[in-house]
Amino acid sequence: MTPAAIERNSFVLLQLGRRRFALPSAIVAELAPPVKLHVFAHDTPMIAGVIVRRGRIIPVYDVTPVLAGKKLPERRFYLVALRHIDGQNELSAIPVDGECELVTAEVFPTPEDSPKYVAGVLAIGEETIEILDFEKLVQTQAAASAGAAPVELGNLA
Amino acid sequence: MTVISTDSKATRRARPKESTILFSVAGMPFAIAASAVHEIRSADSLSGSATEIAQSAVPKVRHLVHRANRAYFVVNSCAHFGLKPTRPTLVLILRDSPVAILVDKIERMADIDAPLALPLAFQGEERRWYRGLSYTDDAIIPVVNPAGFLSRHELRALDDTLRSQRADAPAEMTGTVAR
Repeated sequence: MTPAAIERNSFVLLQLGRRRFALPSAIVAELAPPVKLHVFAHDTPMIAGVIVRRGRIIPVYDVTPVLAGKKLPERRFYLVALRHIDGQNELSAIPVDGECELVTAEVFPTPEDSPKYVAGVLAIGEETIEILDFEKLVQTQAAASAGAAPVELGNLA
Repeated sequence: MTVISTDSKATRRARPKESTILFSVAGMPFAIAASAVHEIRSADSLSGSATEIAQSAVPKVRHLVHRANRAYFVVNSCAHFGLKPTRPTLVLILRDSPVAILVDKIERMADIDAPLALPLAFQGEERRWYRGLSYTDDAIIPVVNPAGFLSRHELRALDDTLRSQRADAPAEMTGTVAR
């Protein structure tokens, strides 16, 4: 395999719940330890908050309801990957359940009934692992975003 | 896998400081530049000078308060930020706009690092709400944009409502809306 082919077939395997998924290693920056998730008011679906890594503020996408059908794990690591937004590169993170693994494997086509965020599959041993399209994944909404509910303001007094 | 440089400019450069008021709404932290706030009052103390505005165009505004012959639209911060309703106790009267905001609690005054730009991943209303994010005392605090509480369109809708209310009850609606 040529170096380019190795890079094309190089993936980081991440654990979410009982399942494993793959992200192309070329876009993965690091696996961050369970640092503090900072939460503040915002209006963007899928974003759970931000973490701080080496002086940078990195948004965290809560993809666990989409991929694992559950809430964010209590103690989580963060897989930090590169996104291309509005012509600029920016780091973003997704929570993962534990250690990640770097593998080189052949890519098989996406099964027909797969969600849009699946960019192919890997066959590793007995296991079939979905390759995630990070851009499409973070734009997937598990549920309709909750709008601001009507608020009873009450009296000033 | 690439390793992020530990020698990033963000960590090397000391950021300029900014005097702010740290406050909370529905348990969420916020900061606002101290220079943007004209006055802080308890909600109770302003109830006598508050006028209810009957309108549905801008649901987060239900009252107008009068201070020193100027009028300010009172924005409920819970509704503005889409947070669960609380019973606000304080009003921050802003300096350069006809806006007062209801908040739950003032945490403290603090000199915090000038805000960093909001990451591009944030694509919602928060781009109008905030000037950026400040990392202070191991916490990320959004620094609010004082001009982001009411858009020009919302201000116009409120002005129109006031004009029609004035026509109905001229004695109750004196004073000018601060601009």
